[in-house]
Amino acid sequence: MKHLSEEELIGSYYGESAQEPASHLRACRECSARLAEMTRDLEALRPGATPQRRADYGEQVWHTLRPSLTPYERPRRSWRNWFHLRILVAAAVCAALTAIAFVGGRYWERHAAKPPRIAGANNPQPGQRVVLVLLTDHLDRTERLLVALEHADASDPVENSQLQSEARELLASNRLYRATAGEAGDPALASALDRLERVLAEVANDPDLTRADLDRLRREMNTEGILFEIRVLRSQTSDPKATPPHTNGASI
Amino acid sequence: MQANDHSVVRAVLAGDKEAYGALVRTHSSAVFRVAFRMVGNEADAEEIVQETFLRGYQSLDRFEGRSGFGTWIYRIAVNCALNRLNRPGIDAAYRTGEETDPEAKVVQVAASGADPERLLLSQEISAAQATAMERLTATERTAFTLRHMEDRTTTEIADVLGIAPNAAKQAVFRAVQKLRRELAPLRGTA
Repeated sequence: MKHLSEEELIGSYYGESAQEPASHLRACRECSARLAEMTRDLEALRPGATPQRRADYGEQVWHTLRPSLTPYERPRRSWRNWFHLRILVAAAVCAALTAIAFVGGRYWERHAAKPPRIAGANNPQPGQRVVLVLLTDHLDRTERLLVALEHADASDPVENSQLQSEARELLASNRLYRATAGEAGDPALASALDRLERVLAEVANDPDLTRADLDRLRREMNTEGILFEIRVLRSQTSDPKATPPHTNGASI
Repeated sequence: MQANDHSVVRAVLAGDKEAYGALVRTHSSAVFRVAFRMVGNEADAEEIVQETFLRGYQSLDRFEGRSGFGTWIYRIAVNCALNRLNRPGIDAAYRTGEETDPEAKVVQVAASGADPERLLLSQEISAAQATAMERLTATERTAFTLRHMEDRTTTEIADVLGIAPNAAKQAVFRAVQKLRRELAPLRGTA
C-alpha cells in the first residue's frame, strides 16, 4: 500500500485533498495517525483572538486619514486622454498580433511541416521544440537574472530593485509559457518553468531582499541547478539542429 | 456590497473625497485583523490600517475593478504588513524574561493566577512559534498566514501574492514543513 505524502496530508488537513487520499485515510491507520499528529501541530499554531475594535473604529480611522487626502480631479477629455487612448489601442494591436503569431506558429509547425524535413524529427516531442523556439528570449533574460542572483550581494538597493523589477516582469511571462508548455504536452519543460516560477515569485514578492534572503533562496531553491537547466534548454533553443541527448530534454 | 463599492470608487475618482469614508468604515476591521495577525502587535497593526487606506486612496485610479475593493485593499494591507515586518529594527514580538528591560526588548510578564511554570512554558512555546514564523520567507509567511489564520483559499492567496495557484499551494506546503520541523522539539511539552 502506498502511503500519503506530506503534501497530500497537508491538503487533507486544509480540506483540499482529492477523493483518493480521503478514501486512503479511512483505510490506513498509519496515515490517519500521521494526519492526527499534523493536526495537533497545526492547531497549536492557530491564532489567538484578535483584539476587538470599538464599533466606531472605522469612523476613527477615517477621521485620522481624512485631512491627509486630496480630492481627485474630475476627469476631463483632453488631448492627453486621446494620446493615452491611442497608446492603449496600439498596445492592444501589438498584443493581438503577437498572440496570432504565437498561435499561428504553433499550428503551422505542427500541421504544415512534413516529418522527414522537420529539424529534430527524431524528437518524439515536437511540441516541445516549438515552445522552446518561442522561449528563446525569455530564457535569455531568465539566465541573466539567475546569474545576477547567484552573484548579488544584496547590499546595493538599486541592484536589488532592478532584480525585483526584472523578476516581476519575468514572472508574468513565465506563467504564460508554463501554461503553454503544459498545453503543448511537455511536462518536463512545464515542470522546469514551474520551479523557475517559484524562484521568481520569491524574488518579486520579497519587499526587502537581504543577503540572508538571497543565500536562502540559492540554497533552498537550488538556483544553480535551475540555472543549469535553463542553459540546457536555451542551448537546445538556439541550435535547432541539435538533437536533445534525451527525449525529454527539459528534464534534468 | 461589491457593486456598491465600485460605485463609491467611481464617486471618489470623480472628486468626491468624502465618499472614501464609506469604504474605510466598511473595510477597517478586516484590514486591522489581517495586519494584527501578520505583525502580532496592536499599535503596529493600527498604523498599517492607516497606511493601507492612505496608499489605497493614492492608487485608487489604478483600481481596475476586476476584483472587489475588499480584495484589493486586503492585498495592499498584506504588502504594508510585509514591509513593516521586513523593516530593520522592527521585531514582531518581545521576549520574556526575569525583569523588564526596554533596551534589550525583554518584558517581565506578571503571573495572572495560572501556574507560573505552565505560564512560562506557554510563553516559551509562543516565542518559539514566533521565531519559526520569522524564519520563513516573505512569500511562505504570507501564504501560511492567509491560509492557516485567515482561511483564504489557494486561489485568493495566489491573487494576493500575484503568483500561480500551484505556487501558492507550494508556498503553504513549504511553510508547514518548515514550521513543523522547527517546532518538533516542543512536541509533547504543550
